[in-house]
Amino acid sequence: MNIHIKTAWDHVRRAPFQAMAAIFVLTITFFVITIITILGYSSSQVLKYFETRPQVITFLKDDITPEKISALQNKLEADNRVSEVSYISKEQALEIYKKATAGNPLLSELVSPSIFPASLEFSLVDLSYANDLIEEIKGEEIVDQVGFTASLGGEETLSDVVNRLRTFSNYIKIGGGAFALLLTSTSFLVLIVIIGMRMTSRRGEIEVLDLIGATPGFIRSPIIYEAIIYAITGVFIGWLIALLLVLYATPSLISYFGEIPVVPKDTLKLFGLFGLILGAEFLIGLFLAVSGSILAVLRVKRK
Amino acid sequence: MLKLENVTKTFGKIVALKDINFNIGDSEFVFITGASGAGKTTLLRLMLRELLPDSGKIELDKEDITKLPSKQIPRLRQKIGVVFQDFKVLGERTIKENVEVALAVIGLPKNDWEARVEHVLKLVGLTDRADLFPAQLSGGELQRVSLARALVVNPKIILADEPTGNLDWETADKLMDLFEKINSEGKSIIMATHNKLIIDKMNKRVIELKEGGVFSDSESKVKTKSEKGKK
Repeated sequence: MNIHIKTAWDHVRRAPFQAMAAIFVLTITFFVITIITILGYSSSQVLKYFETRPQVITFLKDDITPEKISALQNKLEADNRVSEVSYISKEQALEIYKKATAGNPLLSELVSPSIFPASLEFSLVDLSYANDLIEEIKGEEIVDQVGFTASLGGEETLSDVVNRLRTFSNYIKIGGGAFALLLTSTSFLVLIVIIGMRMTSRRGEIEVLDLIGATPGFIRSPIIYEAIIYAITGVFIGWLIALLLVLYATPSLISYFGEIPVVPKDTLKLFGLFGLILGAEFLIGLFLAVSGSILAVLRVKRK
Repeated sequence: MLKLENVTKTFGKIVALKDINFNIGDSEFVFITGASGAGKTTLLRLMLRELLPDSGKIELDKEDITKLPSKQIPRLRQKIGVVFQDFKVLGERTIKENVEVALAVIGLPKNDWEARVEHVLKLVGLTDRADLFPAQLSGGELQRVSLARALVVNPKIILADEPTGNLDWETADKLMDLFEKINSEGKSIIMATHNKLIIDKMNKRVIELKEGGVFSDSESKVKTKSEKGKK
C-alpha cells in the first residue's frame, strides 16, 4: 500500500470519533443531495410527460384520400415544434371510445365507426406554440376541426397543469439546490475543522518530516488522502441509503403514479441514473476533500 | 565540503553568531562545543537551512545554501542526516517504519527499502526491535533509531545536535562508538555537544563557540585574535 494512504488510514483508525463525525456529516449531505437529485429528475420527467402527451387532435374531414392524410402527417412530422404525430383511423377511434365507455356498454352499442372522424394526434415541444400551430392547421384543406386536450385533474386547461408542475419542479430545484448547498458548505467546514485538528495533533511529525527533507507535497499527501477517505466513504454511504430507499419505494411509486414515469421503470435505466449521480457525487466529494484539506493545511501553516 | 564564511545571525538585538568562518572536509568528525546559548544549535539550524544568516555564505559541496530557493530546501536536507537531542522519532510508527519514512521522503523505490533498512538497523543494533513502537524503547535505543533514520538515506554529512544530552554516560559512550564507526566509513559528522567527557575521549577536531563567535578551533590549535585580545 502507498505509504501516504497507509498513514492516512492509520490516522483514521487512531481517531475514530473525528473520522465518524466527518463521515456522518458527509453521509447526510450526500444522502440529501441524492434524494434532491432524484426528486428533481422525477419532477422533470412528470413535466415532460405532460408536456409531450398528445395534446392537439386534428379531426379530418370524411372522404379524404390517404395521400392527403399522409402529406399532412409528413408536414407535421417535419415541423420542429411538433413531436409524436400519430394517425387514428375511424376504427381506432371507435376502439378508444369503446374503452372509454366500457362501464356502459349501451353507449358503445349505439355507434358505428362511420360517425367517428379520423384524426391526427400530436404533442407540442412547448405549449407556447399551441395557439399559432392550431391556427395554422385550421387552415389546412383536409382539416375539419382542431381539438386541444384539456381538463386534467380539475384544471381548466393542460397549460395550467403544466404551469403548476413547472412551478413545483422549480421549487424542488431551487429549494433543494439551496438546501444541498447549505449542507455541502457545512460538510466543507467540518472537513476543514477536522483536518485542521489533525494537522495540529501531527505538528511534531510534520516538523520531523520537514527536517529530514520531505517536500510540502509529501507532508500534505496523507492529509489529503485522509480527507478523500472521508469524502468517498460519506458519498458512498449517503448514496447507498438513498438508492435502497428509492428501490424500496419504487413498486409503490409505480403503482401510484401509473404510467407517469416518476422513476425509471427499467432497472438498468434506474441503476444508470444512480450510477451517474454517484459519479457526480464522487467528483463533488473529491473537490470538497482536496480543497478543504489544502485550505486547512494553509491555515495551520499560517498559524 | 562545508564552508562557512563570515556568517552572522541575529535575533532582534541578540547576536547569536558573529563572523563565523571555518571549513569542514570530507570524512571529518567535528565537535561544535560551547556553553548553553553560545550558538551551537543556531549554527546547525543554519546548515540545515532552517534559518537564514543575516550575512555571510554557507557552502555545501560548493553550493551556497543561503541562496537556495525554498523549493530546493528539501533536496538539501535529503543530503544531510540529522540526529536530535530529543530523538524526534514518530511515536505512531514502528521502528522499522520510522526508518522507512526517510526512504519514502527521498523517493527510493519500495523494493529497495528492505535491504537498506535491515543494514542500518543491524548497524545500530536494533534488528530485534524493528517491529516495536518508540514507547517500548529506552532513550539510548531511541537515539539509535534517530541515527538509523539519518543513515539510511546514505547522507554525505550527519548533523547531530546534543545526541547524548538525554543519555547516561554508558549509553552515550556506546552511541559515540557508533558515530566513530560511521565516520570511519567515510561520512562527515558535525556534532554539537557540551559534554566534555565525550569530547576528551573522542580526540577529534573541536570548534568552540563563545558569545556567538569561534573561540577556538582545535584544527588550528590557536585561539582567535579577538578572543586573545579579550583575555
